[in-house]
Amino acid sequence: MRELEKLFDRIIQRVNINLRELEFDVNPLVDKLIPTGQMTKFYAFYGITPHHPLNLVFKHANLSGSYFLGQVRVTNSLLYKSDIRGDELKKNGDLFQYQEFNIPVDQDEEIRIDDSFLIKTLVHNYSHDPETLETFFIRDTVSTHYANIHGSPSDGCYLGPFSTVDLTTMRDCVIGAYSYVQAGEINHLRIEPGTVWVRKPGDFNFMYRYPLDQLNNYIYFARGISPQGVFMDFVEDRKEAFQRVFSVVNIENPVTVPTSASLDRFAVIKPKTHIGENVLVAQRAFLQNSWLGRGANAQENCYIINSKLEGNNVTAHGAKIIESDLGTNVFVGFNSFLRGRPNARLTIGQDSIIMPHTIIDTRNALAIPPGHLVWGLINEPKDLVTNSMSLKAFSKIDTRICRGSMLFEGSGGSFVSAFQERIHHILEANGAFYDGNLNRGHAQRNQNISFNTIQPYPKGDKEGLYPTIIIQP
Amino acid sequence: MKNYCVKDLMVPISEYATVPEEATLYESVLALEKAQEKFQQSLYSHRAVLILDKNKRVIGKLSQMDFLCALEPSDANLDQIRKFKKLGFTRKAVALQQEEYLKNSPPILDVYSKAAKLKVTDLMQRPTEGEYVGENTSLDMALHQLTAGSNLSLLVARGKDIVGVLRLADVFAAVFHAMKESESQLSDGASK
Repeated sequence: MRELEKLFDRIIQRVNINLRELEFDVNPLVDKLIPTGQMTKFYAFYGITPHHPLNLVFKHANLSGSYFLGQVRVTNSLLYKSDIRGDELKKNGDLFQYQEFNIPVDQDEEIRIDDSFLIKTLVHNYSHDPETLETFFIRDTVSTHYANIHGSPSDGCYLGPFSTVDLTTMRDCVIGAYSYVQAGEINHLRIEPGTVWVRKPGDFNFMYRYPLDQLNNYIYFARGISPQGVFMDFVEDRKEAFQRVFSVVNIENPVTVPTSASLDRFAVIKPKTHIGENVLVAQRAFLQNSWLGRGANAQENCYIINSKLEGNNVTAHGAKIIESDLGTNVFVGFNSFLRGRPNARLTIGQDSIIMPHTIIDTRNALAIPPGHLVWGLINEPKDLVTNSMSLKAFSKIDTRICRGSMLFEGSGGSFVSAFQERIHHILEANGAFYDGNLNRGHAQRNQNISFNTIQPYPKGDKEGLYPTIIIQP
Repeated sequence: MKNYCVKDLMVPISEYATVPEEATLYESVLALEKAQEKFQQSLYSHRAVLILDKNKRVIGKLSQMDFLCALEPSDANLDQIRKFKKLGFTRKAVALQQEEYLKNSPPILDVYSKAAKLKVTDLMQRPTEGEYVGENTSLDMALHQLTAGSNLSLLVARGKDIVGVLRLADVFAAVFHAMKESESQLSDGASK
């Protein structure tokens, strides 16, 4: 185990050197956060499909409980229960469009993780950095529980629990707990907890900041303690259900799955769940007593409980939907937490966009009209005044607007269009529009997938480290 | 221009507004007002107060901007809002968010009364290396120094002592005057 401890120290030092300008020390936050004994307990696993290139290289790393798909190289790193999903990487011959440039991709893209410590983190999508087309790099980076690194190369960064960096290259940055950043490129920035920031330079800039005293009830993380709050309690309460799916080799589908839909064998499905045509359910998703209509999806770390999704619903990575009814084409962004109550359900009208990292936690019945944009913290109907707006009205903004803790500047029309186009692309990529012949996506391609497991040294100085492993076709 | 040096244009420190380090913000503003009344020969009034230690050495400067900033409410949230410019928002947007946040702040009179009692040393700016200039430095050199640092004034040094203040307004006036002279000479030459 000595090697594992040395590796931890090496990573922490490298991250701290990068963050010295921000005077940020990751050590007190992550030291002993995952006891080394825990890192030797779980096997790692990888998927093989006929649809994705296979090239996995692991060297001097711990991969405990982590999942890999596609082209991934991990060196000098600790990956704890993380998902490294390389099924949307660029392929040799693709053209990458950036501003007025069409840049040819010369080789299959690879996710490359060096000198990093990722805890329960999801890595997905592809590098959106035109300077590193073929490498989606994550180096000298520490990320904590349920962070999402989505299409975002990272160098010398720290990501707090339940944070998301989306389509953004980041260097030497600190991303606070439950912050969402989509800004293209950021350097040497410290993003405070509970910041939702979406920026397209020269076009629009959206910012919402959670009131910290209220956010702390949902997620709180400080030195010397594990992440705490409603989010962690919610996930921990359902942990046992996942232990079963990870410990059993052959697992039977508990529900009927249409031939055009995909249900990952590492998802938890509780009784009375309906899976419609073209539905995609990813690993580590949790469904209970819910209805997923045609083309709906539940991505990694999503929880859908006692809810009905009418169809073509995107439930992005880490989103949770409880006691709710969603119309068609409702988008629920990353790590959103939507909770109605059995006698006070939450209803969201069709075509609405729930911004990433939105919390709707209501004890009174609450209805969001169709075609609305919703953001921030909503505990009761009156909060909708400052935290929602019809897409039509939002599209008319052409200077700036401030509502409560939300500040927007630029073109509302561009902002809404960018979201709508992206939602359409996600549905397309997930196979929601598959007609039995055309528009095949993840829901159809991920049906035929095999899983293999790999394990670390069981004892001695190298306990917990995985031997160098190269997996190729 | 080349023949001017800093001491020709500086305001001697004896004519400048100064306060001891124990002074409050209110006392500093009174000192500024008094200095402005005394210094009537210039078109441009003083815009800052110098803070002196027990040995009468200059340890800081309080500008009109520092004074106004002291009146602005301050808390962790506002500090964050003021950093929004770093995240690509315009000054107008930052002001809009600040206004929204301050809707429930105390009435302005309370703010004045609190701010008046603040210690000037907590609000002043300590001069940095680039804000000192030797009294015999040429005006051209001083001009470069002013523009490089976007300063409104420089402290004029004689050895270790501060003997005056070179103000942007006085440099501007001298340069403008020189430009006018040169243009009129050129046009006189052309008309002959």
